Amino acid sequence: MNRSLERHRNIIDFALSSLLRRKGKNISLLMVYTLIVFLVAAIMFFTHALKREASLILQDAPDMVVQRMVAGRHDPIPINYGKRIAAIRGVSAVRPRVWGYYYEPVVGANYTMMTSDSQAQGTVTIGSGVARTLRLTDGDLMTFRNYNGVPTLFQVQKIMPYESELVAADLVVTAESDLRELFNFPRGHATDLAVTVGNPRELTTVAAKIVLLLPDTRPILRSEILRTYDSIFDWRGGMMIVMLSIAVLSFVIFAWDKATGLSAEERKEIGILKSLGWETTDVLLLKFWEGTVISLSAFLVGVILAYGHVFFFSASLFEHALKGWAILYPQFKLVPVVDGGQLAILFFLTVVPYAVATIIPSWRAATLDPDAAMRS
Amino acid sequence: MIELAHVTKSFNAGRSNQFTAVSDVSLAIRPGRVTVLKGPSGSGKTTLLTLIGCMARPTSGRIVLRGLRPACLATGNETGDVEITSLPERFLTGIRRTTFGFIFQHFNLVKGISVLENVMLPAYPIGVNHRVFRNKALGLLELFNISRHASAPIDWLSGGEMQRVAIARSLINDPHVIIADEPTAHLDTRLSREFMEIIGSFKGEGKTILIASHDPIVFESPLADAVVEMRDGGITGKTDEP
Amino acid sequence: MILHPAILALLSTSLLTSFMVLYAGWYGARIIRTWDIKSGSELQLSLERRTYLISTLVSYTLVFQLLSLFLFIYTADNLHTLFSGAMCAAGTLNVNRYGYPLLVMKIINFLLAGLWLIINHADTRGYDYPLIKVKYALLLAIAPLVLVELFFQISYFAGLEPDVITSCCGSLFSIDKPGIGGDLASLPSKPMVAAFYAGMAATLASGLYFYFKGKGGYLFSSMSCLAFSIAAASLISFICLYFYELPSHHCPFCILQKEYGYAGYALYATLLGGGVAGMGTGALMPWRNRGSMAHIIPHLQQRLTATTIFLYLLFTLIVVYRIVFSSFRISG
Repeated sequence: MNRSLERHRNIIDFALSSLLRRKGKNISLLMVYTLIVFLVAAIMFFTHALKREASLILQDAPDMVVQRMVAGRHDPIPINYGKRIAAIRGVSAVRPRVWGYYYEPVVGANYTMMTSDSQAQGTVTIGSGVARTLRLTDGDLMTFRNYNGVPTLFQVQKIMPYESELVAADLVVTAESDLRELFNFPRGHATDLAVTVGNPRELTTVAAKIVLLLPDTRPILRSEILRTYDSIFDWRGGMMIVMLSIAVLSFVIFAWDKATGLSAEERKEIGILKSLGWETTDVLLLKFWEGTVISLSAFLVGVILAYGHVFFFSASLFEHALKGWAILYPQFKLVPVVDGGQLAILFFLTVVPYAVATIIPSWRAATLDPDAAMRS
Repeated sequence: MIELAHVTKSFNAGRSNQFTAVSDVSLAIRPGRVTVLKGPSGSGKTTLLTLIGCMARPTSGRIVLRGLRPACLATGNETGDVEITSLPERFLTGIRRTTFGFIFQHFNLVKGISVLENVMLPAYPIGVNHRVFRNKALGLLELFNISRHASAPIDWLSGGEMQRVAIARSLINDPHVIIADEPTAHLDTRLSREFMEIIGSFKGEGKTILIASHDPIVFESPLADAVVEMRDGGITGKTDEP
Repeated sequence: MILHPAILALLSTSLLTSFMVLYAGWYGARIIRTWDIKSGSELQLSLERRTYLISTLVSYTLVFQLLSLFLFIYTADNLHTLFSGAMCAAGTLNVNRYGYPLLVMKIINFLLAGLWLIINHADTRGYDYPLIKVKYALLLAIAPLVLVELFFQISYFAGLEPDVITSCCGSLFSIDKPGIGGDLASLPSKPMVAAFYAGMAATLASGLYFYFKGKGGYLFSSMSCLAFSIAAASLISFICLYFYELPSHHCPFCILQKEYGYAGYALYATLLGGGVAGMGTGALMPWRNRGSMAHIIPHLQQRLTATTIFLYLLFTLIVVYRIVFSSFRISG
């Protein structure tokens, strides 16, 4: 065991000195490798963090939301539907929700308007994105035009903190009566009903019962929303990785080329080693450790750079492709979340292709005839 | 004792550029003596050295090393005779590492690393403790009066000094047999004679020495116990001192 | 097909592995036909050089197989949110009929690759490569299995459409469900516990006997394989229950999750490792006393036996630790 360790240690020693002796070639390889790891890692971290944010946010969403459909489109739902739903066995609570969208033509932005019982009449609480776009502070006045085009003034009571950007950038919270007046919301109706079910396993059963009871409604489960979000993020992330696969392929060819293209100097060196008593296995090990040192360095640096890019610079390089387009762009710092699984996937997408690409060139190098060294 | 029986080595067998470097050579190399292979370039001396030194396998014929007991083989053959002809590379290398020390015609030192590292190279894959063989290497450098160059890169040394590094390197694993291919080719007369003196001291230690050379300083030296003449891959003459 | 990065990673790795094994198999076939150790011809020399490449390829394959096995289960677990009814990997695997066969193939290929490497290790220590033809015949047998795994993998992932309704482990591994999952879960626990400890003890005993006396290699190997199967079944039957502290949760995949301290990885790694070493010991038995192997194989087998004993003990230790410190108790 000891001998084996010593042997590895000696060979690693020589591998390091060998790498340093050919700085030019190895540095260019290292840079390209790091770039590839960086790109793939950044996409993966970003997608993963967004998915996680979405699922965290949705944790507070109601288990099920029931909407009313008229001619295939979403319509305000009568509140007494809620009473009938509450009577279904398994339903623990039903809460009517009044909310909507308001289009502000001055800045071309869509606000999400929600209501809260704690909001005083005539006041609003706004999200930081809204505040930023309209340059508002506490106490300022905001104008909204109601359904008739008549302007109504609201006072900004509070601006939501920066940390809530992702959920609340475009949010405007008013009192329920204010919202109803603004939109001339039909009395006795709500936008949708938030339904809580006692046993989560019963959700599908309850949803089925609701549809049976009220055929013009559409229940939407939180798990379905989550699944949709996940699919979209996966799809977008996957698309980018597929596009990156061309880059990975080029990198693999580049690495293979570097590994195959042994200079006369390197060839001579291996010939000398073999003539001195290094077996093919020893030279293979040498090449393996050289590759490992390069892989580990590239992986480490690439991951750190990607981490910094995604979590400190908010992935400025490709956020547009992944987040979608909007006027009220949430500026947010993602919560850093990287787990072993992510790193494993990254390993398989970057290090494994490199390792496989270098197997045959390493073997060709290792099986060079020592005979040649005697003659040169 | 190293015995060769009808050893032939061909390259590119069966193709139009087939070349036979060594042809039907039978030879016995006695232990503890200096044997010189004499002949012009192209006579097959170098190839024969690679075959004897376990660096290559003959195309046909047998080579037996007698009186060796290489631990790596574990054949259970207690007479200590090893036929190396059909051994796979791993075992050939194992024998070579511990039995033979090579001094090459062009020194074959690795550029870009220090003198000390060059001397230590053959011991790396064996798995001996690093410090142990480092000290040994330093001792050898001391022996040949070049320890002041220990950390100098190889490129800075003169021809004679490089020769001595090559010799030191060949000794790092305590071999029984020293093989030298045209060792005096790049040396002047004084250094050549010095080299033969070093060979003399090896002989005094009981090592077997095999030199290929067309330099008279080597094959006419009183130290040479047997001189084997070669031409075109075959042996044309042998002088043996009992 | 879901474009999840993990799926892309698994597919690309599988393709690479298949390519490596096919390449190795192709040259393996050549070697079987034309190998002659006594010849010094250039063909023989180039074949010998090629064996190094093949060993390297299979070594890499083994490592990738093991890592991708765990990545596969991790991915299956992560994707469960996309399928209604799935709560963990068990559900994801059940989405189409290739999921479980794929898992089984991955395990088989890992074991076979490990076995090959053990035989290869013995063979290269012999100065006349005595096991070379056996070795490459085995490789030729492994190659189609790797292709089957690739086929299953592509079929499985291609058939993964989100929103397909599947079952969760609760119904797959529940006692009253027909099918192998249910059968394993419904094995009566007291006899299973007894069988588990008996299997481990028998392996330990036969292993120690073989280690010190050098006799009973086949017995030890069979015991270790038997213990492997019993332990695997036990995981589903009763061991998991102590981790989940629920009498009805028999799923073998949930123990890989963070909530349970990733204990699953330790359990599966030790069990698989011990299983491979035990199988390897048995596979080497026929050549134990032949020629150059007489000095090599017995020593190697000792090391393998020690490895199996150590890993199985570790497995048992983890299980016993959990059983003792869990607040769950099986009754009846």
